[in-house]
Amino acid sequence: MVLTAIRRAEKTRVMPRKRVRKNPHEAETEIALDNVSVSYPLASGAQKTVLHRLNLDIRAGEFVVVLGETGCGKSTLLRLVLGQEFPTEGTVDVDGKRVRRIDARCGYVPQKYALFPDRTVMQNVMYGPENAFCGWTARLLPSFWRFRKSLRAEAAAMLQRMGLRTTDFHKYPQQLSGGMQQRVAIAQALLMRPPVLLMDEAFSALDPSTRASLQQQMHDLWQESRPTILFVTHNTSEAILLGTRLIVLKPHQEGDQESNVLLDMQLPQSSEPLSVRKKTRDFEQLREHVKHCAFRESDFEVERRAVQEMPRRVEASE
Amino acid sequence: MSATGPAFHLTDIQGRPRRLWTQSLSWMLFLVGILLYSQFSVARHKENPEDRVIPSGAQLIQGVKSAVLEQPEEDDPLDATATTWQRVSHGMLWRDTVSSSRRFFISLLLLIPAILLGLHMAVFPYAEAFFLRFFLFFDKIVALSLLPILFIVFGIDEWSKIMLMVIGVGPTLMLDTYNIAKSVPREQVVKAFTLQSSSLDVTYRVILKQILPQIINSVRLNLKPLALFLFAGEMIASTDGLAYRIAIMRRHMGMDIIIPYLLWVAALLFAMDALLRFANRRLHPWY
Repeated sequence: MVLTAIRRAEKTRVMPRKRVRKNPHEAETEIALDNVSVSYPLASGAQKTVLHRLNLDIRAGEFVVVLGETGCGKSTLLRLVLGQEFPTEGTVDVDGKRVRRIDARCGYVPQKYALFPDRTVMQNVMYGPENAFCGWTARLLPSFWRFRKSLRAEAAAMLQRMGLRTTDFHKYPQQLSGGMQQRVAIAQALLMRPPVLLMDEAFSALDPSTRASLQQQMHDLWQESRPTILFVTHNTSEAILLGTRLIVLKPHQEGDQESNVLLDMQLPQSSEPLSVRKKTRDFEQLREHVKHCAFRESDFEVERRAVQEMPRRVEASE
Repeated sequence: MSATGPAFHLTDIQGRPRRLWTQSLSWMLFLVGILLYSQFSVARHKENPEDRVIPSGAQLIQGVKSAVLEQPEEDDPLDATATTWQRVSHGMLWRDTVSSSRRFFISLLLLIPAILLGLHMAVFPYAEAFFLRFFLFFDKIVALSLLPILFIVFGIDEWSKIMLMVIGVGPTLMLDTYNIAKSVPREQVVKAFTLQSSSLDVTYRVILKQILPQIINSVRLNLKPLALFLFAGEMIASTDGLAYRIAIMRRHMGMDIIIPYLLWVAALLFAMDALLRFANRRLHPWY
């Protein structure tokens, strides 16, 4: 009787399979934000609005990059989709269902603390699919061990695809460099085959060369399997290189009735390697355009110019 | 820095003492302690050869022998034909160690639910709302002041002493576990949920597994308070145990027994601490 119950439990959980769309050209809405506002109460009793009346439809297979100044609500938007935070007004749907809690519909790659420190690389990557396959009791069945064997092969292939060597598989995260850790984190999220992959400044703590190589790998991975990706970054070049769609957010001002979306544009695609694309004139022009739209002149720049102009002013007054 | 290596400066933060130096320095204070003790003992024994306040080496050896091989006064004497092992197993030190250890380990087992409660308080918001304020207050109650109540409720048997240890150390260990579990980065919990974990998976397979080395360290730090409450209970109401024997010997000025007992207790706690540290290193190589 216990065995039957375990088998039944086993049947209710299945390893997530690759999602196959009936029509490959069909572009269903994967993430839908409808009139979403988010505000927090301040200590003074007033309300601080971070996102205001945001409407966004992200179609399946899009690589959406969210860019904007600090405090414009990029990470809040990501947390809303993830289910870590809830809108004060409006609704958020992912994969056709309302977001009410954090679940496996979204894969998540944060900037840091992405891996479980007590597990090796291989254990980290296998953790999700093992959970998806069975509960605690079903682990006693022989079918679990057969599944584990096939999963190990799949995980190894994914890790190698992300540039890890077999000697790294049994290392703990602290024994890996930051770039390697992020590669494992991406592999961990992708092996679950989530409908949506959320990346919160996932490459921002890395050095430029590691960052460039990871960008290329991410780009290749997306071109192969086309998952829906929502990628939050501060970096304009990264945004233009990786995304198929760019959303620039602006901080909400008190009394402003407009939404936070400053710019929502489709980005040109090309099959060239990112390092080559980065050097083209079109890329430079687009980058300058987006920078101009997205970022106000920082206070630092104003101050620097004032200091430069000061001797001239002194001379003029003399 | 000289050509052959770093210069020898005791106050240099960047100094790197060699292994021999480190070993020698770590034993130095033990040696100084023994030398000072011998010095005082010799000085007092010069004035009074029968002095019992600072027993001489020979007195201490005799004290150890009687603690190990002689029965407590309250027991019936053994036959003269008893073997050495029979004398040891009926000896004061062994009997007292077994009694105190039994109380100590039962209390340690009873502290496991406290650790789990601390973990649940940190992970489940409703459990936090329900328990946290109460235990923050309860932790501030001086456990020894509860002793009369414990004697009334549990009698003067084993349970009053065990409960004193549990009440004395439990809330601290619980709140420590709560703080450790709270310090696990939120990203880990979010990530675990996106990898199809249930709440129990997150609690036991993600958070508990990660904080277990820190909990073991917390238990290590609480070994002494645990022994302190054990000693308090045994000294006030007991008929056996290490602290009971020390209290009895105090009446007889039996420093030749008290000092070996104190060193034995310290050695036991040190061994337990070392064992936990070793287990932590072996079980959690990633920590």
